[in-house]
Amino acid sequence: MQSTADRHLTFAAWLLIPLYIVGVVALWAAFLHAPTERVMGEVQRIFYFHVGAAWTAFFAFFIVFVAGILYLWRRNPFWDEFGAASAEIGVIFTTIVLTTGPIWARPIWNTWWPWGDPRVTTTLVLWLIYVAYFILRSTLPEGEKRARFAAVFGIIGFIDVPIVFLSIRWWRTIHPVVITRTGARLEPEMFQAMMIAVVAFTFLYFALLFLRTAMRLQNNAAEEMTHIVRERSE
Amino acid sequence: MRHLKLIWVLAAKDLRIEYRSRQAFLTTLFFAVLILIVFNFAFDPGSASTRDASPGILWVALLFPGMIQLNRSFQSEMEEGTLQGIVMSPVDRGVFFLGKLLANWLFLLAIDIFILIAFVVFFNFAVEPRLFWVVLLMFLVGGGFSAVGTVFAAMVSNVRIREVMLPILLFPIIVPIILAAVNATREVLIHNDFSTLGRWLQLLVAFDVIFLAAGFLVFDYVVGE
Amino acid sequence: MPSASAAPQPLVRLVNLTRKFGPVTAVKNVNLEIRTGDFLAIFGPNGAGKSTLLKMVASLLPPTSGEVVFLPNGSGPNRSEVGYVSHQTLLYNELTGRENLTFYGRLYSVPDEEAAAAEMLVRMGLRDSADLPVRGYSRGMKQRLTLGRALLHQPRLVLLDEPYTGLDQHGSRLLTKILVSLREEGRTVLMITHSLAEGLELGSRVIIQHRGKLVFQATRDEVDRADFENLYFKAVER
Repeated sequence: MQSTADRHLTFAAWLLIPLYIVGVVALWAAFLHAPTERVMGEVQRIFYFHVGAAWTAFFAFFIVFVAGILYLWRRNPFWDEFGAASAEIGVIFTTIVLTTGPIWARPIWNTWWPWGDPRVTTTLVLWLIYVAYFILRSTLPEGEKRARFAAVFGIIGFIDVPIVFLSIRWWRTIHPVVITRTGARLEPEMFQAMMIAVVAFTFLYFALLFLRTAMRLQNNAAEEMTHIVRERSE
Repeated sequence: MRHLKLIWVLAAKDLRIEYRSRQAFLTTLFFAVLILIVFNFAFDPGSASTRDASPGILWVALLFPGMIQLNRSFQSEMEEGTLQGIVMSPVDRGVFFLGKLLANWLFLLAIDIFILIAFVVFFNFAVEPRLFWVVLLMFLVGGGFSAVGTVFAAMVSNVRIREVMLPILLFPIIVPIILAAVNATREVLIHNDFSTLGRWLQLLVAFDVIFLAAGFLVFDYVVGE
Repeated sequence: MPSASAAPQPLVRLVNLTRKFGPVTAVKNVNLEIRTGDFLAIFGPNGAGKSTLLKMVASLLPPTSGEVVFLPNGSGPNRSEVGYVSHQTLLYNELTGRENLTFYGRLYSVPDEEAAAAEMLVRMGLRDSADLPVRGYSRGMKQRLTLGRALLHQPRLVLLDEPYTGLDQHGSRLLTKILVSLREEGRTVLMITHSLAEGLELGSRVIIQHRGKLVFQATRDEVDRADFENLYFKAVER
């Protein structure tokens, strides 16, 4: 009978095969299949990875939300670890999106940070919520209170994200930002490359999620063992 | 309905305590006015760009006392463990939430009105009917702010660095209402443009309703077990 | 028709009650039946899990496993039937004694809460300071007020966590008087105390808790008062 941690390691391992395949296809699609963009040139190809990472960043937060609800409903500590693992991966991807974005976009948009762009700024707020999630966890000792609070914060945060997006979008139409969306028309090959990248990143996300969850569970088990041993020896 | 009465019993208790130690209200008010004054020194008074930035200054000046008040509303419950007293009683935790929310909301509204007066004076606005819209905005913002704020304040009430924790948790979540409040105030007061007001009001009302409901539902998980 | 001396009815049953905080087990598999009219004195060293046990009965903490069963209906803890007194006063310093009691009276839906509050203030010997803020009360007065708060809604189960802590002679004596009257009323009381003498004086049953487990249980008559101190120390050594 496998432990939960072992089962998740197995899931992660099984995912490596499709991940590898889709990953290779994604790379092919991004670098070879999709045509070179007229204005930006080869640099534009980062866009595919950027979209993949951004999708993952938000999807990961959705999983944090779901895990939070499941924890509050079932009170199974597993969901807390699952949610926290998802948040870890999510915050990393969000950081990647936020740091690669400006580097790629500065030459084109002539600004490091387009505040009026709802997607960009919402991603920033998402990042802030992720970080706040971890800071909250760090102030509380391990246990069900921390799990409860993290779940509540994740739920409230997730409900908030669409509202943030909407509010920035409305803000933007009042102060029209001098930024036009580049590549407004996507060639079909570009669209395909983008979708494949999204799929590849999703596989990557799940592989990392199961891996990280397994690690967290094993960590907890080790700690509990230490405590039991210490208690017995008294 | 009995629940409604209990909400008022809880809120009245908090308001009565505030009233007894009026010092807290006055100190918080003083702090907000101080922020306004500091901003007046920080920016070039009388310039057009400062005037355009003034709605932002107003709302920032309101945020910080708001945070302080939220923290204090649970401080009083931590001192002698009265939070446990309420949690232990048959009172529904959602009702407890609404009671705290109401007390915080009213307290904030009171502070806001005084700050608005100071704002009108410092930034040289005319006293006119348009200010009514700002009061309405304060009312709506107070609701959403208090809804999410009450939940988070309860969470951090036991933590040592709570003064810093509450803003960390709360600011990202209230971005929409800050945007709505500042932009609506600017459009109405400075540009005399009411075209976008409806939209911002809608956003605020939606935010309030959503997070009032959310807070009501999750509060049990925060204070109960 | 049950006679007056019929066997006391069980009121609360603790079944395999366990509570963990992370890796630490504070209460370990406690099984206990509490009957109506019992005055249960709970002894044990610091960290034995006594307060945690009481909190679970008060429904302030849920058990990690096991349950607390309230017997008339066989359900979980009924919050309106329990009165709890702990180290913290659970009082609002800015409000008067009367206002505190009225507030709690409303929370517990006590009928005619203002009259009930007034009556309780008299019973606790606080009539003269009823309308002064609690901030100015002495420790003993606060203790009596908080006891009044716990009793206001006529709970069937009264839980006291070391009520004698910090009381001077006068306060102690007053508290004992009140507790004796509770016992005479037939109220069910669970009291954690460090004072072996007080506990044996008041209790009809005694239990000793150590490292989360119940290591000793007896009725007062079964216990030799003179020898109890030795018995206690033997039970909690190791």
